[in-house]
Amino acid sequence: MRLELGNFHVKDIVFGEFTSFKDGVLTINKEEALSIVKEDEDITEADLLIVKPGDEVRLVPVKEAIEPRCRVSGGPVFPGVTGELLQVGNGRTHALKECSVLVVGKHWGGFQDGLIDMSGEGAKYTYYSQLKNIVLVADTNEEFEKREQQKKNRALRWAGMRLSEYIGSCVKDLEPEEIETFDLDPVTKRSTDINNLPSMVLVLQPQSQMEESGYNDLNYGWDCNHMVPTFMHPNEVLDGAMISGSFMPCSSKWSTYDFQNFPTIKRLYKEHGKTLNFLGVIMSNLNVALEQKERSAQFVAQLAKSLGADGAIVAEEGYGNPDADFIACIVALEDAGVKTVGLTNECTGRDGASQPLVSLDEKADAIVSCGNVSELIKLPPMKTVVGELQSLARDGLSGGWEGDEKLGSSVKEDGSIIMENNAMFCGDQVVGWSTKTMKDF
Amino acid sequence: MANLIPVAKTVGSNKIVPTISIPYPLGNPDTSKEQQWKLRYHRVGVALDALTTDIKEQTVFTVKI
Amino acid sequence: MKKAILYLNQFFGQIGGEDKADFAPVIKEGLVGPATELDKKLNNAQVTHTIICGDNFMGSNQDEAVETILGFLEDKEFDIFFAGPAFQAGRYGNACGVICKAVKEKFGVPVISSMHIENPGVEMFKKDVYIFKGGHSAAKMRKDIKTIAKFGDKLLNNENLLPAEDEGYFPRGIRHQVWLDSNTPASDRVVDMLIKKLNGETFETELPIPKADRVPIASPIKDLSKATIALVNTGGIVPVDNPDRIQSASATRWGRYDISSMERLKSGEFKTIHAGFDPAAADADPNVILPLDALRVYEKEGKIGKVHEYFYSTVGTGTTQAEAARMGKEMSEYLKEANVDGVILVST
Repeated sequence: MRLELGNFHVKDIVFGEFTSFKDGVLTINKEEALSIVKEDEDITEADLLIVKPGDEVRLVPVKEAIEPRCRVSGGPVFPGVTGELLQVGNGRTHALKECSVLVVGKHWGGFQDGLIDMSGEGAKYTYYSQLKNIVLVADTNEEFEKREQQKKNRALRWAGMRLSEYIGSCVKDLEPEEIETFDLDPVTKRSTDINNLPSMVLVLQPQSQMEESGYNDLNYGWDCNHMVPTFMHPNEVLDGAMISGSFMPCSSKWSTYDFQNFPTIKRLYKEHGKTLNFLGVIMSNLNVALEQKERSAQFVAQLAKSLGADGAIVAEEGYGNPDADFIACIVALEDAGVKTVGLTNECTGRDGASQPLVSLDEKADAIVSCGNVSELIKLPPMKTVVGELQSLARDGLSGGWEGDEKLGSSVKEDGSIIMENNAMFCGDQVVGWSTKTMKDF
Repeated sequence: MANLIPVAKTVGSNKIVPTISIPYPLGNPDTSKEQQWKLRYHRVGVALDALTTDIKEQTVFTVKI
Repeated sequence: MKKAILYLNQFFGQIGGEDKADFAPVIKEGLVGPATELDKKLNNAQVTHTIICGDNFMGSNQDEAVETILGFLEDKEFDIFFAGPAFQAGRYGNACGVICKAVKEKFGVPVISSMHIENPGVEMFKKDVYIFKGGHSAAKMRKDIKTIAKFGDKLLNNENLLPAEDEGYFPRGIRHQVWLDSNTPASDRVVDMLIKKLNGETFETELPIPKADRVPIASPIKDLSKATIALVNTGGIVPVDNPDRIQSASATRWGRYDISSMERLKSGEFKTIHAGFDPAAADADPNVILPLDALRVYEKEGKIGKVHEYFYSTVGTGTTQAEAARMGKEMSEYLKEANVDGVILVST
């Protein structure tokens, strides 16, 4: 498979008459864009805003981030989700870089939603403060989940994807400023030089723990809860096969943008043919029953072994009981003779004194750690709030609370906030952006 | 009584009786009420017997249903 | 000027050698032995008193020694407490650890010591005390004192503290997130670590696996037919209005609910507020998490004496081990008071 990602570097975003891209400036026809959003009758209110790094803006509840893209050869950016099913990872896709479509609830948040500060002390807690963002703020008529802590956020997330495809389509016929090429020969058809390098697989454990449909990450539109681990081409992940779900404390979450840009995959491509033979991705999942966790670990180890992998990286989208899937997978790989490195975050508590993962094993002797979900964060008021600040306290965001014996509400009268890292939007960046680690004190 | 035996072991539980899942430890809603009851009655009984058992190290008790 | 107090053993306190190891604790105003050096190196505090106690006295009469020394300190003003350096002296290391821990618990001031890595006091007290990596013998006295004085100054000055390895003390089992000065993203760290592991080179994990916790095994129940059995769960089963406002994740609260008149938990009266899993099954039948129905039948059949009047509940998702341990201890107070003989804890 050979994927060409044609990049258009966005230096500024403005509203204007025609949705277009010229000389680094992305112009969006707001009315037309909103009409795409409102194609879904479940959307009751919608507005578009542009926020940039350094703006005194706090966004909450943030539900999703997507990179605006288009499939040059035609077809949906997210097959099986926003359009018909087709194979991705081959051919040309155009992308608007350094920007994302952010989806924010106008009022209602939930366990899986997060917060982004575009400037100040809070900006360092999330990757998305560095991007120029097209923010969709909207409400829906999904009354059944308005007061529920767990929200599928279906109308909003799908509106975000439609919007990103609409915006991305403006560069379909343009010549990209640069083209990134991702090309891997079939596993058995590689050169001797490459075959002589240590070979490895990247094992991903996307979030799939809800048994009811509508919450989990999707693989070509298929609920990751309903699959056993399978072998995928890394280009499929980079090219829209995977979309983020709507379940998991937010700092642990991988947004769709994260999947589209997966930094660890990109780094492995750089090493491929030099220090490593990158065999591909084993797409696993996260489960709720021990037998399911063990079954997935067993499948992963078998696939890695059958592919002849010498090494593996395992990354989990979550913490808590998913640590059991994570550790089981590492142990199964090590037992199969595959040298494995883990990639995760930790939950050591506000005081840092708790056990870092709920399941541990001495065989997991190589782990890269991206943060503490329960680190306490205090932030001053922000000039502008997009969405509704109270959602952090009221709606059961994983890092917010209404009343705490010692700390009071997450949201103070003056607009300042106190929260756990848990609610920072995709804050732990386990896909590989994270410049955080964990240290002993 | 826990489904995630590795977690129970890691935190130092000494007597562990397996359950069937996280959301419904003692009764799978896809099975009949009778089947759920049989499973729950059996496993709670195993747990009660475990309380009377003298052990020297962490033990996972065997269940039949 | 802030104030510091230093603890020494009989040898460094200039009382005498091994023959004076039974020396009972005393407190002296001013500086004895290493206290002079510590006072010189400390910029933000003055060492006002030196406490001296024989190592064997502390070893054999620990309660008495601690009580005496805490008594000495009761009317003293001090902002920080030092003990040692103890180098590789095992009994001295133990004494420094014991007294530092007691002083921290009673007076809430920072406590600092210094020991050689092989001193058994390190393993015993590193979680409770800042113990700096010290020399093997008193030849390193000046260096070790300089280190603890420097850190003491930092604490007294409320400066930002670096991770244990950078400050030089033994990790206390506390882990926090930090941003790497190098800005190296996790994608590079993980791939570099894998390449090293594959090539058989040394690599350093960012998450050293801590030793597993062990809990003493409780003695078995002798006669189950006379025993009171209680039900506890971490699956968030509560009355539908969640009267104790137990959090759906990262819980710090727990509740207990009277079930003495119930045969089973009814849907609509009880539900789960646990945010970590699909609640449908437990909302439809709370007994799948809290098996009151089964336990009642065992009560009727005479297999157990009786079911305890209350069940206990909290939420396990995102809940830290420390909070869970505290809540467990609080619950066990009630359980002990009610003479409960055994507990079935259902976790989700």
